[in-house]
Amino acid sequence: MTTPRLPLRSAALAGAALAAAALSAAPLTAGGVDAGTLISNTATATFTTGGHPQSVTSNTVTVRVDELLNVTTVSNDAGPVTINGSAVLAFTVTNTGNGPEAFTLLADPNVGGNAFAASVSGLALDTNGNGTYEPGVDLPLINGGATPVLAADASQVVFVLVSAPTGLANGATSQVRLRAEAVTGTGAPGTLFAGAGHGGGAAVVGTSGASALGNGGLVAQVAAVSLVKSATIADPFGGSRPVPGATVTFSIVASVGGGAAADALVIADAIPAGTTYRPGSLRLDNAPLTDASDGDAGAFIGNSVRVDAGSVPVSATRTVTFAVTID
Amino acid sequence: MFHRPLIACLCASLLAATPLRAQESPVALRGEVHVVRVVDGVETRQPPEQVVPGDKLVFSTHYRNTQAVAVDGFVVTNPLPAQVMLAADGPFEVSVDGGTEFGPLASRTLTENGAVRPATLADVSHVRWTVARLEPGAEGELSYFATVR
Repeated sequence: MTTPRLPLRSAALAGAALAAAALSAAPLTAGGVDAGTLISNTATATFTTGGHPQSVTSNTVTVRVDELLNVTTVSNDAGPVTINGSAVLAFTVTNTGNGPEAFTLLADPNVGGNAFAASVSGLALDTNGNGTYEPGVDLPLINGGATPVLAADASQVVFVLVSAPTGLANGATSQVRLRAEAVTGTGAPGTLFAGAGHGGGAAVVGTSGASALGNGGLVAQVAAVSLVKSATIADPFGGSRPVPGATVTFSIVASVGGGAAADALVIADAIPAGTTYRPGSLRLDNAPLTDASDGDAGAFIGNSVRVDAGSVPVSATRTVTFAVTID
Repeated sequence: MFHRPLIACLCASLLAATPLRAQESPVALRGEVHVVRVVDGVETRQPPEQVVPGDKLVFSTHYRNTQAVAVDGFVVTNPLPAQVMLAADGPFEVSVDGGTEFGPLASRTLTENGAVRPATLADVSHVRWTVARLEPGAEGELSYFATVR
C-alpha cells in the first residue's frame, strides 16, 4: 500500500480545506453518548532518525460529555377519545436526552379552538407498562407532578383523566395538552445549568427546549333526546271539540339520537290547568301503568305524570300516553 | 533506563546534561481538543467546556522536530475515540478495520452480511498522516473533525 506524503505547508492548507468541508456534516440528534462520559484522544507518531525507528505519544486530551436535556410527548390514542362523562387520554413521554432525568407533567384542557373545556381530575403513570389505564394499579399523580427519573431514551406512559362538563352537544371536540418539562430546567436551546448535569458536568437545554407537549383529542358522545307531544280530543257528542267533559289523550314520543344511549330517561308532564287526570290512563309503549309510586315505571304524583323509561338505546323511541278530562 | 539511584541521576543531569537530552524524543507531540461552533455564521474553535452529543470537535496534534537532526518517515496515527464519529474526510488516510489497513476513505470497503459496501465516515476507526521528512525545527499541526455520537 502506498502512502500519500504531504509536505508541511500543504498539510496546513489542507487543514483549512478540512474545516470548510466539515461545515456540511449533519449533527446527531436524540440520545447520544451518555452524560458524564469522558472522551479521550491520544495520537502516536513513528519515525526514524539516522535509521533508528522511534515512536512518541502525545498527551491525552479529554472532554467530558455534558447532559443534554431533551424530551418528546406524543399522544398514544389513534384518534379522538369519546367522552361521555369521563375519559382517559394516554401519552408517552420519552427522555430523548443523554442522561437520567425526571419530567414535570402538566395537563391543560384549555387549548385554543376547543368547543368545550374538559376538567383534568388527575394523572396516572402506567406502572405495569401495558398501555391501559387500570385504576388501583397505575400510580395516581397530581396534575403538575413528575415522572420517576427516566434513563436516557426511556419512556413513560402517562394517563390523563378528564371529565366533561354537562350540556355538551354530541360530536363536540376538545383537545387536552400534556406538557413534559425537564425537572433540571427548561429554556431556549443552549441554555446552561452549570453543575446540574448527570456525571458532574453541566446540563444543556437541547433543541426541544427541554419541554415538549402533545395533544390528545376528545369527542363528546352524548345522548340527544327529543320529545314530541301531541293530543287527540274526544268530546261527549262523538266529535273532537274541546268542550267540558271532553277527553284529551296526550302522547309524548321520546326519541334518542346523538351518539349514546340515554340512561335513566324520565318523561314527566304536568296535567294542564282546567283539566283532570283520568285515573289509570297512563301507558308506556301502550302497556298500562299504575298511578301509584310502586314497582312499575309509572306514577301520578302531585298533578303530574312521571314515567321512568330507564336506559334507552340510540335511535329507539318510548311513547308515553295519558288522558285528561276537560273541567 | 532510569533505574539508577536518584543521586546518580542528579549527578548525571548536573555534570552530563547532553547525554540525558539525547534520550528525549526528537519530536514533540502536543494534543489539543476544541469544540467547533458557528457564531454569527463564522466557525470558531472554543475550549471544550460544554460538549453534548451532536457537537463537533476538532482534535489537533501539533508536532515539532526539537532536535538538530532531520526525522524521516514521520507517521502520526490517531485512533478515534469510540464516542465520536469522523465528521469529514480530510488529507489523511483512514482505517475502518481497527487500524490494520489504511487508505483514502473512498478506497475503503466493509463486508456486511456477505455484501461489500463503501465505507462511510461513521465506519472510520483510525486516521493517519504521513510526512516524509521533518527538518530540524520543522513543525505543523494535524487535525480531524469529529461529531460526538
